[in-house]
Amino acid sequence: MLKDLTNEELVRLNIDAKNWQEAIRKSADALLQNGKITHAYIDAIIKAVQETGPYIVITKYVALPHARPEAGAIESAIGIATLKDPVAFGNKENDPVKYLFCLSAADNNSHLNALAELMDLLERKDFYELLDCAEKPSEIIDFIKNL
Amino acid sequence: MQYKGLVACRAGVGSSLMLKIKLNQVIKEHDLPIKIEHGSLDSIMGFNGQVIITLSDVAKELKAKKLKQKIVGIDNIMNKIEIFDKLKKFLVEESTKE
Repeated sequence: MLKDLTNEELVRLNIDAKNWQEAIRKSADALLQNGKITHAYIDAIIKAVQETGPYIVITKYVALPHARPEAGAIESAIGIATLKDPVAFGNKENDPVKYLFCLSAADNNSHLNALAELMDLLERKDFYELLDCAEKPSEIIDFIKNL
Repeated sequence: MQYKGLVACRAGVGSSLMLKIKLNQVIKEHDLPIKIEHGSLDSIMGFNGQVIITLSDVAKELKAKKLKQKIVGIDNIMNKIEIFDKLKKFLVEESTKE
């Protein structure tokens, strides 16, 4: 369940980011500070985007920064971050990115249900409205707990 | 005929899992004859099905490799219409090939 993989500590609202690299680093920082990923994991995410392109931008305004488990995923977790000003990732279909859900997958499957729940949320207008208006991380976590 | 598709991305734990969930919804809704497997790019080597489905950027990389499978790239994994159109196109191409 999504509520098992995220918490208030992993939510960062209105991040100031000048470019996509900074957006990834700042959104992933919450996972780093909470022992969910290593520094190397963040570098691996950025390297993958540089090599393959912005494929982590999965739908309009939304990026799912993640790398292979062995790149430095310590414990499965999902961070939630919003940007003060959207930034372009170079994905012409889905740019600009405003919301980032940084994923740490410590194994291949335990987070499958959480991702399915997240996908349902990404189809809900009220979820995006909440991301835009929330002043405290608890507002978002409470919403997820009540799903 | 029942086709086999592989959903893959670089890591095999994030975007491709989400894409797999969406693909299976579309396949079920339209009763398409495609069975979906899932893996990282490493699993492509051992895959013996007809189509590989992935995110557009990864698709570009795979197309350059000249694999025997058809490569389908999805731009927006939440867009069921895009997914359906591209799967349908694959099925039409396959059925006219024989």
